Amino acid sequence: MRKANLWKMLFFALVCSVLLVGCSDENGGDSEKGQKGSDKEIVIAVNENFISMDPHNTGDTNSNSVQSAMLEGLLGFDSDGQITTVLAEDYSVSENALEYTFKLNQGIKFHDGEEFNAEAVKVNIERIMKDESLRLNSRGFNLITSVDILGDYEIKVTLKTPYSAMLTRFSVAKMLSPKLIKENSDDIPKSPVGTGPFKFVEWVQGDHLTVERYDDYWKKGERVKKITYKPVPENGSRIAMLKTGEASVIYPLPAQNLQELEGNKDIIVSKIPSTIARYVSINTMKEPFDDVRIRQAFNYAVDKNAYIKVVNSGFGLPLDSVIPSKTLYYVKQDVYEQNIEKAKELLKEAGFENGFTAEIWGNTNSDTMKGMQFIQQQLKEIGVTVEIKSMEEGTLSDEIFGAQTPEEAKLQMWYVSWSSYASDVTNATKPLFHSESIPPNSANTAYYKNTEVDSWMNEANSTGDATKQAELYEKIQSTIYKDAPWIFLGVDELLVGTRSDIEGIYVDPTGGINVSDANFK
Amino acid sequence: MFQYILKRIIEMIPLLLVVSILTFLFIHMIPGDPARLVAGKDATLEDVNRVSIELGLDQPIWKQYVTFMGNLFKGDLGTSLKTGLPVSNMFADRFMPSIYLTLLSMGWALVIGLIIGTLSAVFKNKWPDHLGMVTAVSGISLPGFWLGLILIQIFSVQLGWFPTGGAEGWKSYVLPSITLGAGIMSMLARFTRSSLLETLKADFIRTGRAKGLKESSVLTKHALRNSLIPVVTIAGLQFGFLLGGSVVVETVFSFPGMGRLLIDSIAFRDYPVIQSALLLFSIEFILVNLIVDILYSTLNPKIQYE
Repeated sequence: MRKANLWKMLFFALVCSVLLVGCSDENGGDSEKGQKGSDKEIVIAVNENFISMDPHNTGDTNSNSVQSAMLEGLLGFDSDGQITTVLAEDYSVSENALEYTFKLNQGIKFHDGEEFNAEAVKVNIERIMKDESLRLNSRGFNLITSVDILGDYEIKVTLKTPYSAMLTRFSVAKMLSPKLIKENSDDIPKSPVGTGPFKFVEWVQGDHLTVERYDDYWKKGERVKKITYKPVPENGSRIAMLKTGEASVIYPLPAQNLQELEGNKDIIVSKIPSTIARYVSINTMKEPFDDVRIRQAFNYAVDKNAYIKVVNSGFGLPLDSVIPSKTLYYVKQDVYEQNIEKAKELLKEAGFENGFTAEIWGNTNSDTMKGMQFIQQQLKEIGVTVEIKSMEEGTLSDEIFGAQTPEEAKLQMWYVSWSSYASDVTNATKPLFHSESIPPNSANTAYYKNTEVDSWMNEANSTGDATKQAELYEKIQSTIYKDAPWIFLGVDELLVGTRSDIEGIYVDPTGGINVSDANFK
Repeated sequence: MFQYILKRIIEMIPLLLVVSILTFLFIHMIPGDPARLVAGKDATLEDVNRVSIELGLDQPIWKQYVTFMGNLFKGDLGTSLKTGLPVSNMFADRFMPSIYLTLLSMGWALVIGLIIGTLSAVFKNKWPDHLGMVTAVSGISLPGFWLGLILIQIFSVQLGWFPTGGAEGWKSYVLPSITLGAGIMSMLARFTRSSLLETLKADFIRTGRAKGLKESSVLTKHALRNSLIPVVTIAGLQFGFLLGGSVVVETVFSFPGMGRLLIDSIAFRDYPVIQSALLLFSIEFILVNLIVDILYSTLNPKIQYE
């Protein structure tokens, strides 16, 4: 028996020493290995699988990123997420916000040789208008009544009713070769053909998607020969790829691994404020949350900086309005700084001096759990006992949207996040705060109903006048922030890891990776 | 024998039919509405309902089942609700890597497991036994994700011998198959050891030795062969499970396998993908069982086909 123990110990010691050798000297590994500098290829590792390459039917960030290497829209987004012209040379919106006229750039060819002109744009827009199964159809394109070709390179789109997010939609709706749409529409989700700086090569499901430089691209500039996108869900593996040089760019860079990279000269870490808002929506129609003092007390009870530190590893900004700072028409509000005394006072005024018990819902994600526990701990300070109920996403969605009327709703608080395009203030507000959006109709899970705010939103939506919109959104933000239908928490900062020999790749506030000028230094 | 196999394959059909009905019912019983997920967070109820009709989710379950089976007989697995791609297309790139990975992991686990198990039994309570069993216990106790990450750290980051992930070329299969096979190797080693020890106590072994057979011949021809029956059972079961993909290994090594696809599809309530994947796994399992049954009778001719 003693002998047996000795053997076990020896073996254990052997295993340990092998592992120690492996783990020590973290940055000492030869970083040049596996790098394909000579044939000019870049690998980008992202955290999730790409879902579809159909630009008119995409809802996830990673698919969008990959598409943006190959496809371009009439409009697009700059590095701040705001709208800029791409395939359109210029555009104008009529005063009644119904007519959109685009002047197109000339001399552009799709990867299959088809010419980009007003006719090609028309084919694209009509595809989205007619096919109800496409995601973009219900997002503005079903409001289009006519598409008129005004000249070879000029086109006018007319809407039935005003829709202020339309410019964002034109930026999202990337142009496909009309030949592809007419002849091989089944191939669109698999292998799209556009006008972008790179053209499609292959997509091995779950493994990688490769694009190759399009030499006849209409914009000048030097680019890498090839880019391969790889879904690498495991954080540790993504970091390993960046360290070995197997990947030139990884997004997102996991915050908990940041320390490993400190002092590593081969890797540059960038931090980008996002449009992802984190908050707890409070059911404002349910007692006792229907009392604004309770909701404000909750906001005063929470230390936003501690929240960012605890839940987001320190990468984030306080949510100091109802929309993130990168969103169009954002105005900073008078933040609810943590003030336990004030919170307690508000509770007392509302008749809850001794606190009460409340329930918070969230999904089963480990970050969500951390967030809910943080809220639980913070509200305990003011005598409110929070019960955490975490549910698998689909079940949660059924619980929330299964309630057909506000009276039926069991939801008290929901720990959740929202993100929309930085240029799309409509989508950052209307589904969340308009009374028409109360579940099951849409995502106003605060059951927030303020007729004034409703009418401001409607007004902002029906005008093409930017000054007017800015004015209205200022009022909307300050009113809602004071009404506190949410516990306002934070805005994520996105982390990107890039190897130092790479340039021209950036991530925008929505998490889209732009590679149009990607190259080796 | 050929008749036996044919009979078993024909028997699969009603079994698969029952499996298909049960899985279809189970899948649709999970709470959660794929139409809402397809439509997106910011969708209105109107959008959700339209998507629901578009995808045929508004139909009664039996009708959806009939449609699915009808298409299946035409060789069409349907279209994924999440990606809009044909399910067969999504399987195509993942199925073979999963098979290769399973075969590789299973292959080395079987060989090494049998060797360790046999040596441990033969040298019971001597150092090869201790070394073997410590290896086996370590193999079982090391969590897959941990082993995988450590292997990546050593062999990819430090030494640069193998890629950190993917499924391109044989090199990318090495680390995942080590990770995946470790537990199975250990289990097989332990089963082989205990089963062999049991057999070595049997009367016919004593008889063999008494009639002057060489020890090596006693071991390989008589003892080992007889003790392999439970090992084959376990190996068969494990093989079946592995074919279903391994979420842990696929995640750590970003390996394009069936496991993650199934898990992602369940989270999205991607009915056609889940249904087809489960059906495929059932077929694989039944086939593996058939192979195991044939192996039984090869190992011990007393076990007959009926």
